Amino acid sequence: MKPLTPRRVLVICGLLLALLFAAVVISLRMGAYPITIPEIVTTLFNRFAGRSDQIPSEFLLVVFGLRLPRIALGIIVGAALSTAGAGFQALLRNPLADPYVLGVSSGAALGAIMSLIFTPHVAGAIQIASFVGAGVTISIVFLLGRRGGQLDAATLLLAGIITTSFLSAVIMFLMTMLSGRDLRGIAFWVMGDLQTPPVIGLKWLFFVLVIAAGCIYTTTSDLNLILTGEQEAHHLGVNVRRVKLVVYVASSILTGLAVSVSGAIGYVGLLVPHVMRMLFGTDYRLLVPTSAIGGAILIVVADTLARTVLGTTEIPVGAMTALAGAPVFIYLMRRRVR
Amino acid sequence: MRKWLILLVLATVGATCARTASAMPFAQTPAEPGRAVTDETGRHMTVPMNVRRIVSLAPNLTEIVYDLGAGDLLVGDTDFCDTPAAARSKPHVGNPQKPSLEAIVALHPDLVLATASINAPETADTLLKLGIAVYTTYPHTVRQMLDSISEIGALIGANEQGDSLKASLRARLDALQTKLADRPLAHVLFLVWATPPMSVGPNTFIADALRWAGAESVLVTHQDWPTPTFEELLRIQPDYIVLTTDHEGDTSGAAQLRADPDWKGLMAVQSNRIVTVNDRFDRPSPGLVDAIEQLAHDLHPEAFLPAVNQ
Amino acid sequence: MSSLSISGPTPTDTTDIGPRLRVEQATYAYSATDRSAPAFTLGPISFEAGRHDLLAVLGPNASGKSTLLRLLAGVTKPLSGRVEIDGAEITSLELKTRAQKVALVQQESTLLFPLRVWEYVLQGRYPYGRRLRFESQEDCVLATNALAQVGAASFRDYWMEELSGGQKQRVILARALAQQPALLLLDEPTQHLDIGGKIELLRRLRRLADENRHTVLVVTHELDLAADFADRIILLHKGKCLRIGTPAEVYDRGVLEEVFEVPLEIELRANGRPRVSLRSDG
Repeated sequence: MKPLTPRRVLVICGLLLALLFAAVVISLRMGAYPITIPEIVTTLFNRFAGRSDQIPSEFLLVVFGLRLPRIALGIIVGAALSTAGAGFQALLRNPLADPYVLGVSSGAALGAIMSLIFTPHVAGAIQIASFVGAGVTISIVFLLGRRGGQLDAATLLLAGIITTSFLSAVIMFLMTMLSGRDLRGIAFWVMGDLQTPPVIGLKWLFFVLVIAAGCIYTTTSDLNLILTGEQEAHHLGVNVRRVKLVVYVASSILTGLAVSVSGAIGYVGLLVPHVMRMLFGTDYRLLVPTSAIGGAILIVVADTLARTVLGTTEIPVGAMTALAGAPVFIYLMRRRVR
Repeated sequence: MRKWLILLVLATVGATCARTASAMPFAQTPAEPGRAVTDETGRHMTVPMNVRRIVSLAPNLTEIVYDLGAGDLLVGDTDFCDTPAAARSKPHVGNPQKPSLEAIVALHPDLVLATASINAPETADTLLKLGIAVYTTYPHTVRQMLDSISEIGALIGANEQGDSLKASLRARLDALQTKLADRPLAHVLFLVWATPPMSVGPNTFIADALRWAGAESVLVTHQDWPTPTFEELLRIQPDYIVLTTDHEGDTSGAAQLRADPDWKGLMAVQSNRIVTVNDRFDRPSPGLVDAIEQLAHDLHPEAFLPAVNQ
Repeated sequence: MSSLSISGPTPTDTTDIGPRLRVEQATYAYSATDRSAPAFTLGPISFEAGRHDLLAVLGPNASGKSTLLRLLAGVTKPLSGRVEIDGAEITSLELKTRAQKVALVQQESTLLFPLRVWEYVLQGRYPYGRRLRFESQEDCVLATNALAQVGAASFRDYWMEELSGGQKQRVILARALAQQPALLLLDEPTQHLDIGGKIELLRRLRRLADENRHTVLVVTHELDLAADFADRIILLHKGKCLRIGTPAEVYDRGVLEEVFEVPLEIELRANGRPRVSLRSDG
């Protein structure tokens, strides 16, 4: 009998963080602009130590102006999507659920299109409008997805599917009304893009990530029990209703945020928790943090490949995760879990 | 207790990293004297007095740079910049919709040229944040394009060439206008795309170019890129259909149209009043004037006959 | 302080005297729709049970057994009357406190993810920690003891899905025992067991009541097993509590025939416990 200990969680997360760090350093090295790893390390160190004036201005530009913000955004988005994916998989009692199945990304896309129609050249309007769209969708699905006073997995799923179809229809309609050229702005939605810095700033984004993911983490003991059976969990003293609500709201906020700032990057929320489950087991006290870090690693790697594989042409990062994700998914499906 | 401590440590580490990664206000290299400029989208920037390295983010801008005689100053352009032929061998920074920002930075440009009709605003915004001057044009009409040409000329130190190019193009357009003064406007259907049919609205650049060529789009609409149904077209019955050749100069579009049963109902197709223009018609550059003149000739051949001697 | 002896986790006692479970005039009713007349009414029911008591709740289908069980588990609040455990009204307890006092053994729902037996049993320790908890040494010991009590120690590293029906039943019981409850409720636990398994389970429950001072209440269809093992029987019929008493008192031929609508014959054996069989001329 060897139950999960905090030490084991910290050790595994520490290893994954080291992996993430390595991915970040390699990612900083890659790009059209030539720069070596020693130069990167020196630059990072100088900036950290406040000696920015010692850095050649162009390194500053490339490392801190172009690459690092993108990597940082990728880390936050990857962690957010994977954590939300793990949360939704527990909430919907389905290991194949992804964060978009409840319509959040469609709502965000609708918000984005509305902003393109009504406020086409306002900076940051797309992000704000899409987050509003996501928020409205989250509320509607919440109201529709309840049964007997609390969130019910099957009802939620139905509500999400219906909402997604409806929103997609509205989006199609609006897109035919939009002028052809203006649709350029929506292309990044469909495919995912980490180049645009978040309107609210990286700091706040990270703050919300920590809060929301932290809330989900506090429910992980409860989630372990709920996954064995909701009735049983209730009899063991779990406040099932409250836990489901917290997980729903936190996961939805994480998804909405991620989609607003970077478009709909697929496969991350679905695959990462799945792979982490295969590697480290189904205990959510370990699954949530490993999914978060794993998601960050995946996005950093995918984005690095997306922006370097074809030279000066950039593949959308969502296409990269799909390209890599689909074969992995097939492999997972064929292999029995344990 | 221990868990909150760990969370706190993580949050601090993360916030520090986020601070490190967040955008710094990048100062432009102060060594060069510069002038304050506002571009056609209202963005403010400082352009060095002495522009030696230019990156162009659109084919029409590349053309303009060459026509201003500044082809040597061009250090980078897009994958699609093909006119003149020399532009193809310049270092490429990617496609106009999503150029590689790093490649642009690696070329150390003094000035980047962009146009709002092709390039994403985020590209210009990010480059400006990094302290690189980006001049974005936003041509709505042919006249504005001429102004852009002289503006760009002024920016890159080719004032004379810019002014003279503008003047000569203007002269040609004015001459055209005189010739067509007595002619009624031809009612045309300008096809951006044939299947399904997509045309242009009155506020587009193309519509303005059409007017200079003595033509007018038959569609009454407020959309910029309307998609009329065939019924509508049958009702309107344009006098002419104007197609553009595709990029490789393929002129088979007209033949395809004639063979298509959907289009046969239009009188313009039956009497073969289909005109093909160079695809430069959509490109706000000096070559556009050639295309306008060409179209004017095709639509109003009578106006260009030599004057009958009295 | 709970004992850590091999004999197993004992209920966390807060009172030493008096009944542990007290049901006083509890009733419940529900209707098909909000406004129509009640389709089903249960009660009023009153009884008490103390340490070492093993009660059996008998009755045909739709007699209210599950409803009664939900009232006893504190899942539903009675329309009138009270259900008390250790002197406190059960529905007024905090969720975790209630889970420390009452454990319910039901058919297990299908597991979403594979789980080892010991992980499953460890979940029974949930009511004894903070919200986000990692199991302590004491938790592990108690869980081990619970497994030993039900004779499942040998397959504690197995996967839950590998177990047979009887083994699974034992493991579910072990998890309930890990809760160290005062009151152990079982909902038709003998359903999927063969006769050997049924007897083994009832013997075990009897031992738990006798040696570990649990109060055990079993909802069952098994008339004979209930007669052999239970201290008292609660007989339900269409929501009414017809009889509460020792098996000999409750197993009256007329009453049983009316309830179960089958011709029966009751035979009182030497040990004072009745035996029910089909009437030979029926």
